[in-house]
Amino acid sequence: MIDVHGLAKQYQVGDHVVHALRGVTLSAAAGEFVTIVGPSGSGKSTFMHILGCLDRPTSGRYLLNGRDVSTLPGDELARVRNETIGFVFQGFNLLARTSALDNVELPLLYTRQGVVKSDERRNRAMAALDAVGLTDRADHHPSQLSGGQQQRVAIARALVTQPSLLLADEPTGNLDTTTSHEVMEIFARLRRDRGITMVVITHERDIAAYGTRTVDFRDGLIVSDVPNVAREMVGHR
Amino acid sequence: MRKLLRHPVVATAIKALGRNRLQTGLTVLGIAVGVATVLAMMAVGAGAQRSIEQQVRAAGLNQITIRAGNWRPKVEESDEAIAHQGDARESLRHPLERRRGDVMPIAFHPEDDPMEKHDHPTARQRLGDLEAGLGSAATMTFDDAEAIRRLPGVQYVAGGIHENVRVHLDQKRWFTRMHGTDVMMPSIKRAWMFTSGRFFTAREQDRASQVVVLGQVVADRLFGAGANPVGQDVSLWNQSFEVVGVITSATWVVRPAPGDDQFDAVYMPYTTTQRLLNLSKLNDITVTAESSGDISRLSREITRLLRVRHGIGDHESDDFTLITQAARALTTGGLPPSVARAVASNVAELEKVTLEQLALTMERASRTMTWLLAAIAAVSLLVGGIGIMNITLLSVTERTREIGLRMAVGARRRDVMRQFLFEAVVISTAGGLIGVIVGVIASIGIARALRWATVVSPLSVMLAFGVAAAVGVFFGWYPARRASRLDPIVALRRE
Ligand SMILES: Nc1ncnc2c1ncn2[C@@H]1O[C@H](COP(=O)(O)OP(=O)(O)O)[C@@H](O)[C@H]1O
Ligand SMILES: [Mg+2]
Repeated sequence: MIDVHGLAKQYQVGDHVVHALRGVTLSAAAGEFVTIVGPSGSGKSTFMHILGCLDRPTSGRYLLNGRDVSTLPGDELARVRNETIGFVFQGFNLLARTSALDNVELPLLYTRQGVVKSDERRNRAMAALDAVGLTDRADHHPSQLSGGQQQRVAIARALVTQPSLLLADEPTGNLDTTTSHEVMEIFARLRRDRGITMVVITHERDIAAYGTRTVDFRDGLIVSDVPNVAREMVGHR
Repeated sequence: MRKLLRHPVVATAIKALGRNRLQTGLTVLGIAVGVATVLAMMAVGAGAQRSIEQQVRAAGLNQITIRAGNWRPKVEESDEAIAHQGDARESLRHPLERRRGDVMPIAFHPEDDPMEKHDHPTARQRLGDLEAGLGSAATMTFDDAEAIRRLPGVQYVAGGIHENVRVHLDQKRWFTRMHGTDVMMPSIKRAWMFTSGRFFTAREQDRASQVVVLGQVVADRLFGAGANPVGQDVSLWNQSFEVVGVITSATWVVRPAPGDDQFDAVYMPYTTTQRLLNLSKLNDITVTAESSGDISRLSREITRLLRVRHGIGDHESDDFTLITQAARALTTGGLPPSVARAVASNVAELEKVTLEQLALTMERASRTMTWLLAAIAAVSLLVGGIGIMNITLLSVTERTREIGLRMAVGARRRDVMRQFLFEAVVISTAGGLIGVIVGVIASIGIARALRWATVVSPLSVMLAFGVAAAVGVFFGWYPARRASRLDPIVALRRE
């Protein structure tokens, strides 16, 4: 699914160069649930942006489903983001004054076939909301939803194009413990039921434990990469 | 329509514009004011131009008359030099003397005109009317008229045969002027109005029908004032003619009076005249130019054309006489009041210039006005456009995260570009729409309140609307491009 080799990213800030990533190598098979931990500023988000085709590496190679996406032109990257990848952000990033349903429909406005017809858009968005258990809130605006519900809407939006890779950058950062676990349960279930590959960044150890594998970042490098056997068992509890 | 409103690009635009309702409203207002001003000004400009043109045309400034023969009459206006008498037994007076109010009567009769030639004098005998077929100098043909019609810049052409006739209704009779003319004549004589009925038709002209249109004076004298003669028969040259219409003057400047050439006259198809009098020639051809400033050129072209057609050698003189109304009006002295009013403010030393130059000056003045209005339009739309750019930039700034999000879920740069461009165009076309409505109402209001002629043409409406849309595209371009160039990561991180 993901095959990253020697990934480096540098930022020019004033006269000095910031090395956000210094050569990251990582492979993840389809259906894996990778959690990424590490201190602030260690390059987790930078790595995820590259995985999500929002950014290109300064050097190194990134194969997504066997295709080298590190050199694709902008429009192609937009297509990959639309079809293959789903994003979940810490701050939800829902459009205000817009119903949950309309928020979920958003990616369907930018498909390869153009704007999906409104009936089909609605059906697919409802199906995605159903997957996160929010069909009864379809007409609610973000301001009328709790944080957990908002994040579930955001997950539904990420799912609506049926991507094979779901990326989440600290998805529980703004949520309390109970809701955090609800959200993580959804991720685990999506991986289990649909075989979606998951990459989730988190600060919290117990959240990281949902992964089948936890990767630890420090100063732009992976310092540990361990399978999480216990989680598999917990998952079947 | 509902489907269109639900289209995501449209729905997003509506939602986005709703966010800054006040700013959007003010910008729409700005564009609307610009467009309305443009439209109203264009209407006033076009109206002024049209009324000047109309006055010029009504005065006949765009008119050329080509008369058969090259004689110069003692009287400048031979058309007006119609002998007239209230009663056939009364002696006719020379109109020049009459006009000057001279007390000395000079006997004058149309048959005394030594210059008149008759190509078929026997017509009188055939018709049994001793006066039939008089006054037909004969060098021009219908084909000459057709050839002139094909010249560029020509508006209307009418061939004419003119006779002095006696019109009989039972025992009453009236000695007047007969014009055998073309169906086009009412278009040339803009100052005509129909008291009743109509002019003769092209069909009647083709068939040389015996129909006649009476001037008001003739109708009043024969039928009595207020009577409607349409449908009744009168006789000319012992032939019966059906009256189809009565004409009078449409302006207060000219009043029908006995002895005038227009309303103390009868009109019939020239074909009818040719048939009955057995004539093949035309007395004159009346030509109007599309533009009154074009008279000189057209006069030269007509002269050249007719000389070629009549086979006149280089050293021979013309066998026709070309008269322009401009020259005529100057020599008879004084301007028609309507024209004088229209031009007096534009031209100093009125008496030194010919009317044709005046017409040219007027056209130039209205062109200057048009440019001035275009400048005003440009300024107001520039201001409106800057407003659009401003609000679109504001929108881009406010919605940076939204842009980042759309990009993250698959929007391409061109999708973002299109969205913001569309929003700018929505503002400008909304302004354009309101502006057009307000502008049309304002134009009508100006016309009513100030008694100015205003002309709102579909073209000017389309132009104003199109310009508004173009302003949206032009001034929305930069903000839209800016939005599309955003880095999604930076955009998403923006608070
Ligand atoms: N756009 C940028 N310009 C300059 N430096 C950046 C930029 N984005 C990230 N960095 C730097 O790269 C490093 C890694 O950042 P990031 O990937 O956000 O870390 P994390 O998500 O692990 O907290 C940090 O030192 C950060 O300051
Ligand atoms: Mg981060």
